[in-house]
Amino acid sequence: MRAIAQASGLRQMGVRPPLTEYVRALWARRAFIRTLGSAKAYARNQGSYLGQLWSVLNPLLNSLVYVFIFGILIKTTRGTENGIAFIVTGVFIYRFFDSSVTSGANSLKNNMSLVRSVHFPRAALPISTTITELATLGPALVVMCVVSWLSGLLPKQGDVPITWRLLLLPVAVGLMWVFNTGCAFFVARWVAITPDLGNVIPFVLRFVFYASGVLFSVDHYIKNEALAGVLTYQPVAVFLNMARSTVLNEPTIPLDPVMWIVGAGWALVAVVFGFLVFWRGEERYGRD
Amino acid sequence: MSIPEEIDFEVDADDLTPLAEDGKALGSPSLVVDDLYVTYRVFGGKRVGNATGQKPGVLKRFLSGGRTHVGGVTSVEAIKGVSFVARHGESIGVVGINGSGKSTLMRAIAGLIPPTHGAVYVSGDPSLLGVNAVLMGSLTGERNVMIGGLALGLTPDEVRERFDEIVDFSGIGDAIYLPMKAYSSGMGARLRFAISSAAVPDVLMIDEALATGDAAFRKKSKARIDAIRDQAGTVFLVSHSLATIESICSRTLWVHQGKLVMDGPSAEVCAAYKAFVRAQDGASR
Repeated sequence: MRAIAQASGLRQMGVRPPLTEYVRALWARRAFIRTLGSAKAYARNQGSYLGQLWSVLNPLLNSLVYVFIFGILIKTTRGTENGIAFIVTGVFIYRFFDSSVTSGANSLKNNMSLVRSVHFPRAALPISTTITELATLGPALVVMCVVSWLSGLLPKQGDVPITWRLLLLPVAVGLMWVFNTGCAFFVARWVAITPDLGNVIPFVLRFVFYASGVLFSVDHYIKNEALAGVLTYQPVAVFLNMARSTVLNEPTIPLDPVMWIVGAGWALVAVVFGFLVFWRGEERYGRD
Repeated sequence: MSIPEEIDFEVDADDLTPLAEDGKALGSPSLVVDDLYVTYRVFGGKRVGNATGQKPGVLKRFLSGGRTHVGGVTSVEAIKGVSFVARHGESIGVVGINGSGKSTLMRAIAGLIPPTHGAVYVSGDPSLLGVNAVLMGSLTGERNVMIGGLALGLTPDEVRERFDEIVDFSGIGDAIYLPMKAYSSGMGARLRFAISSAAVPDVLMIDEALATGDAAFRKKSKARIDAIRDQAGTVFLVSHSLATIESICSRTLWVHQGKLVMDGPSAEVCAAYKAFVRAQDGASR
C-alpha cells in the first residue's frame, strides 16, 4: 500500500508536517487568519441595535465604573499621582492578556466545526483568536487614552499630558500581542489534550492579576527586594509598565529602555516556544 | 442489533440520468487508505458497568458510584482497519447504516481526524462537504464565503472573483447578507456545497449534502460533480439514497461497524446492502 502511494506521489494525511513546511502553510493562510480574527471581533458586537457602537461604548462604560469607584468613592493615591489613569490603563491592558489566554485556550474547542470541515494548519486558530482580542482592544485603547487625559482635569489627580511617548503605545501593544499569542499556543495545546486544565486557567489568571500590579503599584507595597524584582520583571508586569510609561505621567514609571528590551525578550521566548509546543501536538487536534 | 433506518428505495430522481458508462480508463491512484483505525476520545460518557445483569450490592454501588461521575472517558473505535485505493476520475459511493463510521471515514480521508493507526495518502488537498459542517453561524453568508474560500487555500482575490458564481450557484440570493444562523438547513447546505466546490479539489467528499437540496439543486450539484470528475478528480458520495448513489457512482463501499464489508461495482454492492437491510428489517419485526 505504502509503495503504491509513494509511486504515485501521494501525500500522507493526518500526520504532523515538518516545521518548515508547517510555517510555510501557515504563512500561506495569513489572509484566512486575519479575516477570521477580524470577522469574529465584528460578530461580537452584532445582535444589538447599536451594533458596532458597542466596541466603543463597552470600554467607555467599563472605565466610568473605575472612575466612579476609585476617583470618587475611594480616594486613595496608592503611591501614584493619578490613581484613575493608573487603574484604567492597568485594567485595559491586563484584560488584553486575560482574554487572549482565555479564548486561546478554547480556540480549538470553539472552532471544532471548522476543524472538522476544512484542512489547514491548526496554529491558525490560536493566532486568529488573539487577533480578535487585538481588534477588540483597538477602540478600547482610544477610550483608555481619552479617559486618562480627562482624569487629569479632575481635582487632586495629577495631570496626564499628551506627549510624543504616546506614539510608543502601539509598539508596546504589538509586543504584548506577540507574547499573548505565544501564551495562547501553550494553553491551546494543553486544554485540547487535557480539557480539565481549562478549569484551572481562571485561577492562574486571577493570581497573575494580583501579582502584576493592575490596581496598585507593586513596589509601593512589597519591600522584599528579591520578591519585588521577580514581580517587576515578570512578563505581564513588564508589558503593563511599558504601556503605562507611554500614557501616564508618573515619576515612578519612567520610560525605561531596559523594560522594553525585557518585554521584547519575553515576547520572543513565548511565541517561539509556544509555537513549537503547539506544532508538536498538531496530529492530535480534532480527534476528540 | 440496531434497527436500520429508513432507506430511500424509490427511484425518485426523475432528473437524475443513469450513469453513462463511457468506458473511460481510470487514472493513477489519487487516494490510498492503508489499514486505517480511528479512535475517538469521548468525555462525559457514563461508565458501563458489569454486564452480568445482576444488580450490584449496596457496598459495591457505594464504592463504584463516584466513578461514574469522575473520569468518564470512553474510547470509541469508529474505524477498524479499512484499506482501499481510489483512482483519478472515479466516483465512489459510501453506504452503511447510521453510526457505521461513514462520516468518520470521510473525515479521516480529508485529514480532519488524525488516524490512531494506519495511514491515508492523498494527492493534493482533499475537500469535505457535509451537512454537519457548520461555518460561523453568527457571521453573514458573505463573510462565510470569504472565510470558507480562504480556509480552502484560495487567495482573497480569487474568492472575490468567484463570489458571484458561488452565490448564483447556491441560489440563495440576498440572504447571503444575513447571518448564517438565520438560514434554513437547506439554504445552509446549498451554500456550503457552493463554497466547497468553488475550489476544484483533487478529492471531493460529499456527506449527504445532496439529500437536503430540492430537485433543481440536485440537478445542478450533479452537473458540478460530473465537472469535477471530468477534471480527473475523485468524488466520494455518502448517502442513504441508493438511487442517487447508483446514478452517480460507478463503485461503492459498504461500511459496517467500522469495517469495510464490500467494495465493488455500485449495482452489486447496493443490491447486497439492500438485501442486508431487508433481512434486518424482517428480523426486528
